[in-house]
Amino acid sequence: MSRSWFVLRSLIHYRGVNLTVVAGGGVAVAVLAGALLVGGSVRGSLRDLALGRLGLTDTVVTTPVFFRDALADDLLATPAVAGEFDGAAPLITLNGFVTEPASGRRATGVQVYGVDERFWAFHRRASQAPPGRNELLLGEALAREMAVEPGAALLVRVERPTDVPLGSLHGRRDDVGRTVRLTVASILAPSALGEFSLRQSQGAVRAVFVELSRLQEALEIDGKVNTVLLSTAAAPVDGDDGGSRVAAVERALRDTATLDDLALTIRTLPEREALVVESGSGMVGDVVAEAVREAAEPLGLEPRPVLTYLINRLSLGPREVPYSLVTGVDFPAFSALSSRAQRRSGLWPEALEYPPILLNEWAAQDLGARQGDIINAEYYVWEDAGRLVTQETAFQLYGVLSIDGPAADSDLAPSYEGITDAETIVDWDPPFPINLGAIGPRDEAYWNRYRTTPKGFIELGAGQTLWQSRYGQLTSVRLLADADVDGGAVPDLESREAALRTALAARLDPVATGIGVTPVRALALGASVGATDFGEYFTYFSFFIVVSALLLASLFFRLGVEQRVREIGALQAFGFPLTTIRALFWGEAIVLGVAGGLIGTAGAIGYARVIMYGLRTWWVDAVGTTLLTLHLAPATVGIGATAGVLAAVATIALSLRTLRTASPRSQLTGALPETSRDAREGVGSVWVHLPGWLGPPALAAGGLGLVVAARADAINATAGFFGAGMLLLTSSLGAVWFWLRRSAPGSITQAKFWAVVQLGLRNSSYRPGRSVLCIALIAFAAFIIVAVDAFRRGEGDSTDRASGTGGYALLADSLLPLGDDLSEAEGLARIGVTGDGTGLDILESAAIERFRVRAGDDASCLNLYRPADPRVVAVSDRFIRENRFSFGATLAETSDELENPWRLLRRQLPDGVVPALADANSLTYAMHLAVGDETVMNRGSEREVTLRIVAALADSVLQRELIVSETHFRRVFPEEEGFRFFMVDVGEDRAAEAAALLEDRLADFGFDVASTAERLAAFHRVENTYLATFQTLGALGLLLGTFGLGAVLLRNVLERRRELALLRAVGYERRHLTWMVLAENLLLLTLGLGIGTVCALVAIAPAWLERGQRLPYASIGWLLATVALTGALASLAATRVMARSPLLPALKTE
Amino acid sequence: MLEISNLSKAYPTPRGELPVLRDVSLSLQRGESASIMGPSGSGKSTLLYIIGALEPPSSGRLTIDGDDPFALDPKALAAFRNRAVGFVFQDHLLLPQCTVVENVLLPTLVGEPLADGRARALDLLGRVGLSDRLDHRPAELSGGEKQRVAIARALIRQPPLVLCDEPTGNLDRESAEAVASLLLTLHREQKSVLVVVTHSPTLADRFGRRLELNEQRLAPRRMAS
Repeated sequence: MSRSWFVLRSLIHYRGVNLTVVAGGGVAVAVLAGALLVGGSVRGSLRDLALGRLGLTDTVVTTPVFFRDALADDLLATPAVAGEFDGAAPLITLNGFVTEPASGRRATGVQVYGVDERFWAFHRRASQAPPGRNELLLGEALAREMAVEPGAALLVRVERPTDVPLGSLHGRRDDVGRTVRLTVASILAPSALGEFSLRQSQGAVRAVFVELSRLQEALEIDGKVNTVLLSTAAAPVDGDDGGSRVAAVERALRDTATLDDLALTIRTLPEREALVVESGSGMVGDVVAEAVREAAEPLGLEPRPVLTYLINRLSLGPREVPYSLVTGVDFPAFSALSSRAQRRSGLWPEALEYPPILLNEWAAQDLGARQGDIINAEYYVWEDAGRLVTQETAFQLYGVLSIDGPAADSDLAPSYEGITDAETIVDWDPPFPINLGAIGPRDEAYWNRYRTTPKGFIELGAGQTLWQSRYGQLTSVRLLADADVDGGAVPDLESREAALRTALAARLDPVATGIGVTPVRALALGASVGATDFGEYFTYFSFFIVVSALLLASLFFRLGVEQRVREIGALQAFGFPLTTIRALFWGEAIVLGVAGGLIGTAGAIGYARVIMYGLRTWWVDAVGTTLLTLHLAPATVGIGATAGVLAAVATIALSLRTLRTASPRSQLTGALPETSRDAREGVGSVWVHLPGWLGPPALAAGGLGLVVAARADAINATAGFFGAGMLLLTSSLGAVWFWLRRSAPGSITQAKFWAVVQLGLRNSSYRPGRSVLCIALIAFAAFIIVAVDAFRRGEGDSTDRASGTGGYALLADSLLPLGDDLSEAEGLARIGVTGDGTGLDILESAAIERFRVRAGDDASCLNLYRPADPRVVAVSDRFIRENRFSFGATLAETSDELENPWRLLRRQLPDGVVPALADANSLTYAMHLAVGDETVMNRGSEREVTLRIVAALADSVLQRELIVSETHFRRVFPEEEGFRFFMVDVGEDRAAEAAALLEDRLADFGFDVASTAERLAAFHRVENTYLATFQTLGALGLLLGTFGLGAVLLRNVLERRRELALLRAVGYERRHLTWMVLAENLLLLTLGLGIGTVCALVAIAPAWLERGQRLPYASIGWLLATVALTGALASLAATRVMARSPLLPALKTE
Repeated sequence: MLEISNLSKAYPTPRGELPVLRDVSLSLQRGESASIMGPSGSGKSTLLYIIGALEPPSSGRLTIDGDDPFALDPKALAAFRNRAVGFVFQDHLLLPQCTVVENVLLPTLVGEPLADGRARALDLLGRVGLSDRLDHRPAELSGGEKQRVAIARALIRQPPLVLCDEPTGNLDRESAEAVASLLLTLHREQKSVLVVVTHSPTLADRFGRRLELNEQRLAPRRMAS
């Protein structure tokens, strides 16, 4: 016989108890490895989904300004791109919405793609029949939502691209979209790119594919696109950030992008021997102006900056001139013009009271103006706040110009759609109101004769002070041959134009001017890690099940050891060293652990399969997709199984410590250390009891310390919760342990029934270790159930300004940017709300707040992907002053900030860092940021923006975004135009009417209104579903706890059969014994529930206080009552088994 | 061989020390046997366990073949017990998971390898009359048979000291007689020191020296008049 044989013999002989140990270990392994598998499966599913939706796309070039579709081929022809990529396809990608005219059904948030055969070839789907000219291909999800079949007619509306910013005076805020009517040619399955998407979201993608040239025609952008897809033959690699490929594309862009791609034009003005550089936006930005200056100098060209502005009214006393252009020119040009003007000598500009103006003779005549007269100018300004205001300024007439030479230059004005192309002034169709009544025949005659020739000239500085905007300070830069250059050396105008074009293109960095290169595949792989690490969360919340299962395994193993204590004593008597005996039991523990591991591995797959099924069905609200599937990764299973086995073996082996404390003599008598309160209790009792006196209070102090630290944001809230929970539970269980082991438990003095109950309670100290294990099992389950339930959330209150809705009843997203202020009469008039019967009374009673938006990833719990590039929303000063919503943690320092933490957004931080805030949940669980942290947007590009989190909103409806002030927003995201997000404060009784009215009036903008309470409830539903998931795990833990409780009870009863038989012999009835055992059981149950509940409430306190919630007393009460009832019933069942077993024969045996 | 001088043992309790043995002295040479009698709680088993090096004395000295086992470290002490002491307990303490022969071989799983262990086990089992029960489990044996297995197990390493704690306490008279005879026979053959704790005067009288523990002291037993 060998020792291994002995181990095998023992394993087989004690198979009953060993099987329970294996089961316990198996459950631990199954839950642990299963949790990791769930995490891996969610990640794997998100990865598959994202890669599937990207097709073969690896990197994308996008820009807010449309560029030549030939740029795709140009890029691929460069060595830099050719070395990294094997395909390129140009396309238009736009957000839009689709309406079915027949049913009126509408779907918003639609991805509209303008594609041609190059797109299908790029994705190796050349066989895909492209849509015909008036056709579209519809993604399956959208077809299902719209309930349409091939042949159905659909109206597709998209944002109209424009070079002129909406935030400028000439922006076409009234004409922001285009609608095309197309017929559904076929429906594309997801596997056929029917869910093609460049942005990650697990929800269904609503996709529409339109023939590229048809979309270009509708958008009036022939031959232009806004996106280029690039593919690489290399397989996707985790951890690759795509940086090298982005750098290659950026290099290639600098080589290939033309001025056309940057919406810049160079015109030749032969009659003036000049070139003029203009921008499609109407304003030449500072970067471009500087590049022009740098490019011009080596070419012998002299740059002359120009700023031309439309003046609504020039007036002098009662006389006025409507709609005149006034041009600001630099000082040399102004001096040159002055020298041509008729003016009194000795009058110098610096002697004037107001800025000097030179009027042409036409305007001077109309005004009857003479040199020195004060000329009033009235003009429109489009304020960044989204408001058209009329401003007035005064100039002093410095001279009068005849309309010839440089004063007769109609090219000083840029081309404005609806104005410069109009035949007459009354034909003007500007994006701002004009007073046609003020226009007389003489004005029309001027327009007819001189078109856009300015009627006045001022100094550039004066003009820029009045009319500069965030888009630039110039309308054009004129380039003249440098007077110092010898005429013979000056090339002809065409050659100069070509040279300037080349020099300017070389100096302008397309990346710095807005063309973005995004490694979408790398981002998708990164985002697939998920906003929430399900593996981590399931491991956290399964932790207590794992602990319960391990405790159970340990409990049964220990029972087995105790059963064999005399055997251990005998082995020692035969000369077995303790180490050898422990090694034998270690051997058994390892075999049992490995067996548990093997069974648990199979269980893990089953467990993960069930959880994944649950996520697709019962808990679909939490994940928002039914596409999550089990991904079996052997490494994940292996890690989980190994960790589980090690934990099981270690836990089981810890039970062997019993052997160390018992003497061979006591073991030979079958006595267990914890029941023999003999030797140590009386001797040196201070030292014996010291751990009992100090241990639990020290642990409790540690737990409370973590609670305080978490509250003070000194440590991570999750770590604080779990750390404090574990310490408090351990402290309480330790206290119970020492209480049960106390040497003087009190005397049983009561008579009859109560004495029986007391006897039962006393029995709990028979095996204090077992009792504490049972209490621990119940306490862990109660802890998780109560802690999770405390986080359940209810409905939002749409009337309370401090609530999660901010007191707004409605919120709305507008697909197309809205420029008007709907909180003012003019804005309402623009959408046809002008009087009775138009809903004016409803909207006048409402306060509509609007927000600029930089589109990005949804940072709320509705998006499973980690938001690499979150959506950013800008709040106005007015909104900041309102001080709505409630805050959790903030960086507020001053009394102003403490009173209204929104003011933190106004802070000016060093290095251009932008203060931002976000919902606490989004920060913690999606963006993984804390207050005080910084996050970088456009990382790696030349337009990096760093945001510092200065505050966290408490449970708000604003969970999808990062929030910054409008001032900072305009600085860092100048390309974002108009307002796309709205919140409406309207009485609950009129909310539905207001929603219907706004959606109706703003249908063309794709205005989508939702109830804030419902939106908040949707967020809460996700959270509550997670909580329900974790409560289910807690319930499983409770099941294990109850099972353990019953098992321990039965074991105790079996061990005490002779005692119980004796009690029967001396006259105790069965019911006495039942009460006795039940009392013991209920004591353990009550202690477990009490400890679990109290520890949970203390551990969650920081999070709970931060959220400013009320504790759901009722639901927790019901929950605990149910748990107590379940436990009591289980106890009763165990007791009945005991009561029915024949006890009296026990007296005759042994 | 076995030398005990002025050995005392007391247990600490909450109410002070409880003396069990006081100034016990004893000397036994190879081939000698002794029985120890005394009322319950008089410390008989305690003395036996101290002699077997399972429990240390509070004071006094004990040597076996000149060695003080309590001066050894735990590992050496275990090896000492394995080599020098054979135990027979009142309730035999056979391991239920092992067969008869495996139980006998149990002490050979540790300590110095025993080259002819199995042959010796079979021989011993033959001597105790259990050759036909080698592969039986303890649960399949009678009380007397179990005790015979326990004796064979105690002798497997031919220890110089054999200690028996009430070896016939659970047996009927006939089985007790058989077990006692067997013990003495094997003791004589092996020339070991045999110490038996018993309540049975009949059994006690069969050993060379008859001792009695009374009021914590060991003294020669007075024969009944």
